[in-house]
Amino acid sequence: MSDTVTLTGMINLTIDGREVSVQKGTTIFDAARLNGIQIPTLCHQQNQTPVGVCRVCVVDVGARVYAAACIRECEPGMKVKTTDPGVVRARTTLVEMLMSDHPSPCARQQASGDCELESMARVSGVAEPRFARRLSPRGRDDSSLSIAVDHEACILCDRCIRGCDDVKKNLVIGRSGRGYTAHIGFDLDLPMGSSTCVSCGECMVSCPTGALTNKRVVGSELEGEKLDPDWILQLPVFKGVSGTFLQLNQNSVVRRSFSAGEVICREGEFGSTAFYVLEGTVDVSINTPIAHVQQKDAAGGWFSRIRSTLSDRRTHTRQEESSRRYIPIDAPIDLPYDKPIAQLHAGDLFGEMTCMSFQPRSATVRASTDVVVLEMLRNVLDILQKNKTFRAELDRKYRERALETHLKSVPEFASMPREFVDHLRDRVELQQYSAGDVIVRQGDAADAFYLVRLGFVKVAQHHSGGDVVLSYLGRGSYFGEMGLLEGNVRTATCTAMGHVDLVKMAAADFHVMLSRFPEIRAALEAVARERVEMNRTRLTSAEQVPVADFLNQGLMQAQSLLLLDLEKCTRCDQCVRACADAHDGVTRLVREGLRFDKYLVATSCRSCRDPLCMVGCPVGSIRRRGSMEIIIEDWCVGCGLCVRNCPYGNLNLHPFGDRKKATGCDLCMEHAEPSCVYACPHDAAHRVEPLTFFGGMLRLEQRVGTGSTEATSK
Amino acid sequence: MLIDRSHKPWAMASAAMLGMAAAAYVPYALGSVPPSGGSAMGLTYGAVGFVFMALVTLLSVRKKFPIWRIGRTQTWMRGHLWLGTISFPLIVLHAGFAFGHGLTSWLMWLFVVVWTSGLVGAWLQHVVPRRLLRDVPMETIYEQIGHVRGQLVDEADTVVADACGRLEVVTEVAASPEAALGAAGLATVMRPVDPSAEDTGPLREFYVKEMRPFLEKPTRSHLLADPTSAADRFAQLRLLVPPSFAPAIADLESICEEVRQLRRQVTIYRLLHGWLVVHVPLSFALMALAVVHIVMALRF
Repeated sequence: MSDTVTLTGMINLTIDGREVSVQKGTTIFDAARLNGIQIPTLCHQQNQTPVGVCRVCVVDVGARVYAAACIRECEPGMKVKTTDPGVVRARTTLVEMLMSDHPSPCARQQASGDCELESMARVSGVAEPRFARRLSPRGRDDSSLSIAVDHEACILCDRCIRGCDDVKKNLVIGRSGRGYTAHIGFDLDLPMGSSTCVSCGECMVSCPTGALTNKRVVGSELEGEKLDPDWILQLPVFKGVSGTFLQLNQNSVVRRSFSAGEVICREGEFGSTAFYVLEGTVDVSINTPIAHVQQKDAAGGWFSRIRSTLSDRRTHTRQEESSRRYIPIDAPIDLPYDKPIAQLHAGDLFGEMTCMSFQPRSATVRASTDVVVLEMLRNVLDILQKNKTFRAELDRKYRERALETHLKSVPEFASMPREFVDHLRDRVELQQYSAGDVIVRQGDAADAFYLVRLGFVKVAQHHSGGDVVLSYLGRGSYFGEMGLLEGNVRTATCTAMGHVDLVKMAAADFHVMLSRFPEIRAALEAVARERVEMNRTRLTSAEQVPVADFLNQGLMQAQSLLLLDLEKCTRCDQCVRACADAHDGVTRLVREGLRFDKYLVATSCRSCRDPLCMVGCPVGSIRRRGSMEIIIEDWCVGCGLCVRNCPYGNLNLHPFGDRKKATGCDLCMEHAEPSCVYACPHDAAHRVEPLTFFGGMLRLEQRVGTGSTEATSK
Repeated sequence: MLIDRSHKPWAMASAAMLGMAAAAYVPYALGSVPPSGGSAMGLTYGAVGFVFMALVTLLSVRKKFPIWRIGRTQTWMRGHLWLGTISFPLIVLHAGFAFGHGLTSWLMWLFVVVWTSGLVGAWLQHVVPRRLLRDVPMETIYEQIGHVRGQLVDEADTVVADACGRLEVVTEVAASPEAALGAAGLATVMRPVDPSAEDTGPLREFYVKEMRPFLEKPTRSHLLADPTSAADRFAQLRLLVPPSFAPAIADLESICEEVRQLRRQVTIYRLLHGWLVVHVPLSFALMALAVVHIVMALRF
């Protein structure tokens, strides 16, 4: 055969002794494949541009070094050997080296037994690699809800990178690090869940090993009509979603029909799904009575009036609640406080926070007409939320229907006129954050004001002794105003506690709002002043160095402790009886708990500086009052999440008619002094601010500690 | 209630009142007419003393309505202590240091008992809470002691079952009449389900025969009720079983200690509150008799 290029652009060469003719520009790998000769490879796939990084496809072309068949183009007269013993030996060594760092069996091998690297190792006879395992583990990334990333199993073949960048054009995955620290990275080396990854699944199907695998949702068998992925893809909301992903998660989304009057979900129940209304209308309401657990003698009657006079009770009303106009719920709307019911229609999504953060349901949803909904698990919701079409539609609806009520649900914005809301409607930015994302950082320039639309944001301030949590903000709360009002620098770091949706108002719009509406400015400035004062108090306390025991018992976190002096206490239980008497017969304190020195720290709300109880309340009914005590608002739905969240067991569920409501120590705010303290006959019970109360003792212990250290060193 | 520096105003006021009463008594006693309860001076002493007694007794009523804002309960308690203390001398002055006869005598002796029991109670409240704090670090709520003890028995059962294999409760005919704990010579005993675990024998036997009965009914006479003999017994047990049983024995020892503390708590608690059984009912009886005395004295 001639070794020249033919007139038709074909070239002739020999592969494993067989003469073949291929189009000019064809790679050796493709030439062999076209002629039925298999060359093993790991980094190359037919639908991707070859990069030749794994070198497993090396062949002998008669040159000084072996060539990677996937990228080396055929040359006229070339003599290629693919199964030469030297080639096989080199290939086996490469596989052996890759296997030495591979966690065998990897996730893919365990799940389906088709890890390409492990299959190749088996075929090549590589059992136990002779080479040492890497010393620096690269770890896992489980931040994505749909894809698990095991960097240990990654062989850096770049197939995922090309799948993401070249095939899907998403441009999310790249390489990061060098040498032993080299790994695939998402965006600017963010966790996958925090990146702009849309969970299309292309990287997962491209990956030859268990480095990128589908995350199956445990117990993903939903009750309802199973859906064909092709049918799902025809729905406008699923436009652009990866068919591969839907195929892999067929049981994670179902269609359900409800007749008019049927309950779709109930307030307070725990769940893990979200609902998207396909057809019909649903009523959203809170059925738990809007009231709090009253004190026993709140009832009328002659005797009660005498008791009220004797007990010097100020009032049972809660001033803050009279200004409350909306109750935040897990839906695109808020419920009016005076009549907590609203409607959702086709195209509305509800139950997002339950689905994403496993919060209890915030309201009862009942079919108003015959209704068809899609019920989905969090992996599907996550992928929908990352879908630009779906997101855009949700955001449009939010701007049109919910932004106004949301803004006006904030008491400080209640007076904002409609025309300014219209002005903001297209100017505000709707943003999403994942757990752990830093939204604003202390010290950075303040460039925007944020309103929490969904989820919880932790506000923390850094000081010399560490970070102090100032607050947790839920739906309807806002942050960023202090930086904008007081010198354009962020005064605290705000971090997403889970999935968080925010409404971002640019600094320019914020200032326009302040200049046009002096009453809003005055209200915001008043809140800012209050926050500054509270923060100052907390930081002052936090800067005192506490002793270890004090820290270990979490007393540092407390703002108010109920202490019983055990040298005085005769265990008569008058405090418990008084508490029960003051709270409808059910005590909110237990005379048991940790001991510090001669004091018993009774089990009663501590008004913690880091009030974990507030995190996750589906209706935002637990909050801190302007002073410091934790208060449970009237619209508590009795789900019990705050009770579970309290690390000290200081909240409990109180029977309330046929339901329950959360209760905690309210410091008997109607009285000048808590009933437990007032009723103690032995002067043993005290409500104290721990750092002030124990201050002398702590300083003394520190001095003693210092003294003993000096003595030792002398 | 602990009497500390914060009681100074009450102490001084009480002392002043008593001093004035005593000072007034001297010319009264040295006068031509011997002191008597029916005299103007005697009636004054009696009236003031009775008012104090009544106020002191009202503490019990005050405690029934703990949230009534009618003065802090500790203020009432201070009043109870100090006014109660001086009420008796005032009544003695009223009676002219005579205990009288019949009802009056009963009244005076009753007052002595009530007053003395009150003083004893005040002393106990000074001493016992400190002892409780020192001796019972694992103190729990008194009413919960039975429940906590039950939990400790379960915990000990689990520790032994983990070490020796599961235990089963069986009822069998007792080998000797002395061993029969139940009726008709039947005894409830625990024995391991797996009889092959031979090296667990000493631990098993110790637990079934000694420790579990103590946990269920921690009597004072039991060997394990005394910390020193219990420590000796556990040390002896450690020698009899393989070293691998050391953690289980340490757990059992700690459970025993907790049960001992609970037992101690019961004793101390009874001491702390037992005097009230005498003091409170007799106080009410005293008040009732005092009212009868007043009515009779004023009417007849």
